[in-house]
Amino acid sequence: MTASVSMTNISKNFDAVRALQDVHIDLFPGEVHTVAGENGSGKSTLLKILAGVIKQDEGHILMDGTQVNFQGVRDSMAYGITMVSQELSLVPHLSVAENVFLGHNQTRNKLGIDWKDTDKRAVEFLKRLNLEVNPRAEVSTLPQHHQQMVEIARAIASNTKVLLLDEPTSSLAPKEVESLFAVVRQLRDEGVAVVMISHRMSEMLDISDRFTVLRDSKFIDTSTRAGVDENWLIDRMVLNKPKKAIHSTEELLKTEVVLEVKGMTDLFGAFQDVSFSLHKGEIVGLAGLAGAGRTELVEAIVGLHPRKAGDVIVEGVTVSHSTRATMNAGVVLVPDDRRAKSTIRDMSIRDNLLLSIHGRPQKQRSRRKEEKIVDEWVSKFKIKMSNPYAPISSLSGGNQQKVVIARCLETNPKVLILDEATRGIDLGAKAEIYQILRDLASKGLAILVVSSELSEIFEISDRVLVMHAGDLTANLARKDISESDVVSAATGVRT
Amino acid sequence: MPPWFGLLVLEVVLVIGMSIIQPAFISGSNLSNIIRSAAIPIVLGIGMTFTILTAGIDLSVGSALAFTGILLSGFITHMPRFAAVLLTVVIVTAVVGGINGILIGKIGLNSFVITLGTLGIFRGISYLVTNGTTRTIDTGTLINTLGDGNWGPIPGPAVVVTVVALLSVWALRSTYFGRDVYAVGGNEFAARLAGVFTSRVKLTVYFISAALAALAGIMQVGRLQSAAPTAGAGIELTVVAGVLLGGTRLSGGVGSITGTVIGLLFLQTVSNSLTIQGVSSYWQQVVTGVLLGAAVLFDRIQVSYASRRKYREESNVTKE
Repeated sequence: MTASVSMTNISKNFDAVRALQDVHIDLFPGEVHTVAGENGSGKSTLLKILAGVIKQDEGHILMDGTQVNFQGVRDSMAYGITMVSQELSLVPHLSVAENVFLGHNQTRNKLGIDWKDTDKRAVEFLKRLNLEVNPRAEVSTLPQHHQQMVEIARAIASNTKVLLLDEPTSSLAPKEVESLFAVVRQLRDEGVAVVMISHRMSEMLDISDRFTVLRDSKFIDTSTRAGVDENWLIDRMVLNKPKKAIHSTEELLKTEVVLEVKGMTDLFGAFQDVSFSLHKGEIVGLAGLAGAGRTELVEAIVGLHPRKAGDVIVEGVTVSHSTRATMNAGVVLVPDDRRAKSTIRDMSIRDNLLLSIHGRPQKQRSRRKEEKIVDEWVSKFKIKMSNPYAPISSLSGGNQQKVVIARCLETNPKVLILDEATRGIDLGAKAEIYQILRDLASKGLAILVVSSELSEIFEISDRVLVMHAGDLTANLARKDISESDVVSAATGVRT
Repeated sequence: MPPWFGLLVLEVVLVIGMSIIQPAFISGSNLSNIIRSAAIPIVLGIGMTFTILTAGIDLSVGSALAFTGILLSGFITHMPRFAAVLLTVVIVTAVVGGINGILIGKIGLNSFVITLGTLGIFRGISYLVTNGTTRTIDTGTLINTLGDGNWGPIPGPAVVVTVVALLSVWALRSTYFGRDVYAVGGNEFAARLAGVFTSRVKLTVYFISAALAALAGIMQVGRLQSAAPTAGAGIELTVVAGVLLGGTRLSGGVGSITGTVIGLLFLQTVSNSLTIQGVSSYWQQVVTGVLLGAAVLFDRIQVSYASRRKYREESNVTKE
């Protein structure tokens, strides 16, 4: 049997970050091939290269033995490769039929596009996927799993031979997953090579004929379905490191509760009925996979994200749902995306640091006082910079993050929440930030650390919370858990 | 129900109301006057609809209109009128459309900034060439008919608008290019992933906008029998207002030619009504601004209502 696609020695760097290093994968017609790995292991990058969305730095792609060179999406499409990306790629205000045939596959007659026939053909394609919808409906009015079917219908309509599905089930309910998998099996039986990324262990095992595991941007192993089970996958996905004990959790549980979160439910369904509490001087890690609802949860706690139900209680007092009120009550967030959410790129380091205390009375805001505040933080956090009037974008990621943390601390918080605070930061700065957090905790600050990196969770937490698909699936003391426990809880494996 | 339906009702109510208050309003000469003065903004508005649908904008249309008149005034003394018109339209399309299209479509610069730049450039050139003076042009019947005259019993500009509008409706509805315009404005990444040549689509809409601005420039010459460097100054505001009133969304991907035609016809009717009632023309600008604000606000209310309803429906689906 010849491989219909063979990718060899693929490497890709984004600036200084290595996304893929010498990875290879073979895809055969009529198989479902799962690419497994933790967040950031390079799975999506691999698929995007095959789809022509990005180009590899090194390595070759062979189609049926011939080398190909994809300059863009159009090139890979010409070879029958289509990708259903993680974020829905539909044009929201166009009709269902039009989205199915997006990219010039509509029927044409002498007068241009023949809408009647286009609609009729769309209905036929959707029927093959057991979906009966009005082809004229605006696609954004469909529920999300139907929208996804429309994307798959588009792939079928363009006569796909290799179908790439990047986390197709992340937003689907179990029933919807079943109907998606029925379609995937049908396509496989018709000879399509299906490549899938999924984080749900049971689903991978249910649908896949073959597995390839990536870890830290590198190829680890590949195997057919026989001989693969949960442990086989977890062993290869997670690098087990020796555990470090920090301090006894029982002792911590006795100290007073600072923050209590009760029954938080998202207005848009990203998380439901999440309750937990934070104690004084405790560092709690919140683990989970991308899309588990962690960012939405912490943003809802500080009043940034709309919520349907739930209470945030700080030292026994319920806080109203507003960023201002939450900050005044002593809960602050260091958001996950520095560029978009926490730094103002063209403003100076000084102004970025002082941003949260503009509400202070004028008396306290003399230029000298403000300079003193900035100097103190700069020396305390060892922020490396030329001068405080330089734009914050001139700093390295780690130093930018220190400025953001300093801004939060200047409000004298009781609870500090950090969302992926060390993403894109080099190891030295990471270690410094961990040390800062430990110092803060020892002075009584309650800290919640959201992270997708298991090593980080284990490095720093006294207690670990795990979320899976919007539910809190684990709440365990640090000493009682192993990495596999966290991976199981995050991927929804029942234990 | 299309988004411009409410506006159409408003237009009809306005026309009926005005006919009762001011019988002079409904006279044939006044109605033909409304159509004649609405024609140029509508032609520009159709071009603007193409650019706004791709989530862009073309602010240079007024300057391109003036530049067209000035060019024509130069060519027309050296060659047959028809050739002069053709040459002018081709040059304006190539130069204005080329600069805007390449910088915005190919290189990916911001449409607002670039067309604000070309707005200044071509207005300035028009002043430089003429030294600020207005040139009289012997237009002959062809140009005059396009801009002001009659074609049989029908006003010439009405014929031009009808042809341009029908062609555009067809292009947007029934050609691959037209659907790509909506796709690029609605979700550029999705369009690219589906194999649409997004940069070429964006380039093309600025050529269309420039070509229609050139056509509007010819009509303006036909109307005034002269070319002035001040022609069409500030008209881009009216045109954008009309396009947005007609339901085209500034964020791209939603809108229609029909909406644009009704939107600009409505603005012209309001302006004409105010004139007939003896309201100062200064007030008319205030009214246009208020109407634009009201239309955008109304649209936002509708959209947020629709999305709230959608979330409700979705949460019901997941409960099942």
